[in-house]
Amino acid sequence: MDLFFNLAINGLATGMLIFLLAAGLTIIFGLMDVLNFAHGGLFAWGAYSGVWIYDISGSFLVAILGAIVTGLLLGALTEWLIIKPVYGNHVQQILITLGFMLVLSEMLKVVFGPNQKSAAPPAYLDGSWQLGDVILIKYRIFIILVGALVYGITYFILKRTRIGLIVRAGVMNKEMVQSLGINIRLVFMLVFMVGSAMAALGGVLLAPYSGVIYAEMGMEFAILAFIVVVIGGMGSFTGSLLAAILVGMAQAFMAYYVSELSLAVNMLLMFAVLIFRPQGLFGGKGEAA
Amino acid sequence: MMKALLELHDVQTYIDQYHILHDISFEVPKGEVTVLLGRNGAGKTTTLRTIMGLNPAAKGSVQYNSEDITKLSPYKIAKKGIGYVPEDQGIFEGLTVGENMRVAMKKENESTHERMEWVLDLFPDLKTFWKKPGGQLSGGQKQMLAIARAYMNENELLLIDEPSKGLAPIVVEKVMESIQQMKERTTIVLVEQNFLMASRIGDQFYILDDGQTVHQGAMEELQENETLRKKYLGIA
Amino acid sequence: MGRSTGIYVIIALLLAVLPFVYDDRIILSLVMQVFIFGIFAMSYDLLLGFTGIVSFGHAMFFGIGAYSVAIVLNQNEATLFYLLLGTLLAVAVAGIVSFIAGVLTLRLQSHFYAMLTLALAGLFMVAAEKMRSLTGGNEGFVLMVPDMFIDTSGPTLYLTCLIVLVVFFFLVRRFTQSPVGKVLMAIRENEQRVESIGFSIMYYKVIASMISGIVASIAGVLYVLSLQFVDTSVFATDVTLDALLMTIIGGVGTLVGPIIGAGIIEFAHHWLSDLADVHWIFKRWIILFGIVYILAVIFFPRGIVGTLQEIWIKRKYKKQQGKEATKDKNEAAS
Repeated sequence: MDLFFNLAINGLATGMLIFLLAAGLTIIFGLMDVLNFAHGGLFAWGAYSGVWIYDISGSFLVAILGAIVTGLLLGALTEWLIIKPVYGNHVQQILITLGFMLVLSEMLKVVFGPNQKSAAPPAYLDGSWQLGDVILIKYRIFIILVGALVYGITYFILKRTRIGLIVRAGVMNKEMVQSLGINIRLVFMLVFMVGSAMAALGGVLLAPYSGVIYAEMGMEFAILAFIVVVIGGMGSFTGSLLAAILVGMAQAFMAYYVSELSLAVNMLLMFAVLIFRPQGLFGGKGEAA
Repeated sequence: MMKALLELHDVQTYIDQYHILHDISFEVPKGEVTVLLGRNGAGKTTTLRTIMGLNPAAKGSVQYNSEDITKLSPYKIAKKGIGYVPEDQGIFEGLTVGENMRVAMKKENESTHERMEWVLDLFPDLKTFWKKPGGQLSGGQKQMLAIARAYMNENELLLIDEPSKGLAPIVVEKVMESIQQMKERTTIVLVEQNFLMASRIGDQFYILDDGQTVHQGAMEELQENETLRKKYLGIA
Repeated sequence: MGRSTGIYVIIALLLAVLPFVYDDRIILSLVMQVFIFGIFAMSYDLLLGFTGIVSFGHAMFFGIGAYSVAIVLNQNEATLFYLLLGTLLAVAVAGIVSFIAGVLTLRLQSHFYAMLTLALAGLFMVAAEKMRSLTGGNEGFVLMVPDMFIDTSGPTLYLTCLIVLVVFFFLVRRFTQSPVGKVLMAIRENEQRVESIGFSIMYYKVIASMISGIVASIAGVLYVLSLQFVDTSVFATDVTLDALLMTIIGGVGTLVGPIIGAGIIEFAHHWLSDLADVHWIFKRWIILFGIVYILAVIFFPRGIVGTLQEIWIKRKYKKQQGKEATKDKNEAAS
C-alpha cells in the first residue's frame, strides 16, 4: 500500500511539472493557433537560469523568481522575434519554432557550459515526513502544492477577471475580439509571456527533483507535454492538468515496474485518444478553462 | 448638408490574390440608415470588413469623422466608435450572454450603464438568458446579442451584415424593429438581401455589383424604379 | 525528354566520372554524403513541399533504415543477400510506421502530425537505447558490410549512392507529376476545395506520408553503409532539422532544391567543423544553422531554387508581354 502511495505521490509531482509545461502550450495554442515547439527550450532555460541564480544567491525562492523572470523575458522575445514575423502562416510557425528550440538548447550550452548541472533542494524542503507507514518526501509535496497553486490562480484569472474573459473569448473568435476594440496582439504577447514563465517555473522546480539538469531535457519534457496536450484536448486548460496527472502517474508506475515502457505507454495513451477522441478527453477547443 | 460620418473613396481590396473590391465609393450621413444592396458575391460583406480593417483596403481611402482610418488595425478602428455585427454574428459560444456583453464593455461608467440598460430594454430576451451560454441561444437571440454587443462601446456607427439571414419571418420582424429603434441613437450601415425590410428602415441605398458601387439614391427612389431592381437585385 | 531532364542527366554523368578523375577521398566521401542526404531531404520535400505536411520525426525513418540494415547484417553474414533483406525490412517497417502516423493524425490539423512524428522519433530513440542486445545501446556498434562496399570511399559505394539518388529523383519527380501528385499539390493549396470536389484527402496524404517515409529509410540504409557504424544519433532531432534546413534553403517543393541544399549544408558542416580549432563558437555550429534556418523561414521561404524559378518566370512573363506589346504596335501600325 505505501508503495502505491509513494508511486502516486511521485506521479503527481511529475504530473505537476508536466502540467506547468503543458498549460502554457495549450493556452497559447488555443488562443493563437500556434503550437510552440520551442516551449521545451523555455523549460530548460528556466532550469538552468534558476540553478545558476540558486548557486549565486543561495536562496531557492530567489531562484524561482529568477526563473520566472527569465521565462517572461524569453517568452516576450520568442513571441516578438519568432512568432510575430510569420503570424497567420501555420506551416511557417511550426517550422520556425522547432528551429528556435534547437537554438535555445545550444545557447544553453554556450552560456552555461556543455556539462550537466546538479541541484539539490534547499534545507527546509529536504528530507521527508513520516506519516504512519507512508514516507512523504517534502520536495515532492512542495512541487504538488506549487502546481495546484498555479492551476488555482490561473483558473481564477481565466474565470473571474476581464483579461481572462478576453483570453477565453479570443480562443473562440479572435476576429470578433478585435472588432470589439481589443488589441489581440497585446493579449497574445501577454499570454505567451505567462505561458513561458510557467514552463520556466516547471524547469527550475524539476532541477532539485531530478537532481541533474541537461540541455536535452527540454525536448524530453516537451514530448511529454505534447502528449498531455493531445490527451487533454488542445486549448483546454483544465484538460491539461488532468491529462498531465494521468501521464505523470503512468510514467511513475511504469518507471517502477518496466521502466523501458514508460514513454511507450504514454504514446499508446495518445494513440488511443487520437483514434477515439481526437478533440481530447476533456473537451476540445472552445473552452479555455 | 452635414459632412458624412463615413466616407469611402475608390476603395480596392484583395483577399489573398483575389481582387474582390474594384471601386467602392460611398458616403454615410450621420443619423441615417444606409443600405448596401447587391447580389451574392457583389462585395457587400467585404466592404464592411474593409471598413473594420479586417480585410484592409489596398487602394483608396476610408474616412471616419474626417479621419483617415484606412490603414488602422481593427481594434483601433473599433475604438474610434464603430461597432460590427458580422454575418455569422460572431457570438462567443462558450461565454454566457452576460460575458459576451462584458467583453465589449471597455470600462464601466454611467454612460455604459445607461447604454446597457437601454439595450436590455430593447432586447428583454437577453436579460432573461443572461447566464445562458451564447451557443445555446436561438438564431434570433444570437442576432440580438450581436447587435446589442456592437452597440456597447459608445459606438456611433454600427455595421450590420445581413441581420435577417436564416431567421423566421416573425423574428426578422422583431430584429428589424429593434434596428429601427437603434436608428434614433446611432448611424447604421446595413447589408441586407431582404429588400422589403431594407426599404422599410433604410434612408438611402447603394447598389454594389462586382465589387463596384454602381448606383445610389434615396430609398423611395428604388422602390419606384423596377428596372434598377431587376437589373441588380433580380427582384421585381 | 525535357530540357531540364537533359541537364540533370549530364550533371549525373559528370558526378559519376568524378571518382575516376579526382582522388581527394575526403571530398569524395563528402559528395557521397550529399547524395545520401539529398535522398533524405528530397523525401522530406515530398511531404512539406508537395503536400504541406510538416514532419518533425523524419529522423525516425532515416534511423529505421540504418538500424534495420545494421542489425540484419550484424546478426547474419555480411552478404549482399542480407543487405537486400535488411533493406526490405527497412522499407516494410518505414511503410508501416508512416502508415500508422498518417492514419492517426493526417485528418487533423497539421500540428498533430508534427507532434506525433516528433514523439514517435523520441520513442524509437529510447527503444534503440534500451534494446541493448540488438542495438548496443547508446554506444551503437560497428558492423561488417558486404565485401563490395567495404571500401567506404571507393567508387562502388559512391556510384551506388549516386544511382539510387538519380533513380529516386526521377521516380519521385514522376510521382509528383502523376495524377496523384497533382492532387497532393492541390491539397497543399486548398484542402477544403479538393475535399469538396470529392477526393479523399486522407488517402492521398497517407500515400505521400508512406512514400516519403520509405524513401527516407533508403537514405538511412546508404548512410549506415557509408559509416559501417550505427548509434542512436540517427534518431536525433538534429537529423530532422538537417532535412528541414536542406529543404528550406534549397527550395521547398522543387525536389532538386533539397539536393542542392544537402550539398550546401554538408559542405558547410565540413568547413565549420574545421574552423572549430580557430574558435570554439564553430563547435556550436547548430546555433549558426538554427539562426540561418529561422531567417530563411522568415525572409527566404522559397529557398534558392524557388527564388530562381520565380525570377525566371517573371522574366519570361515580361518577355512575353514585351513581345505582345510589339505585336500590338505592329498591328496598330498596319
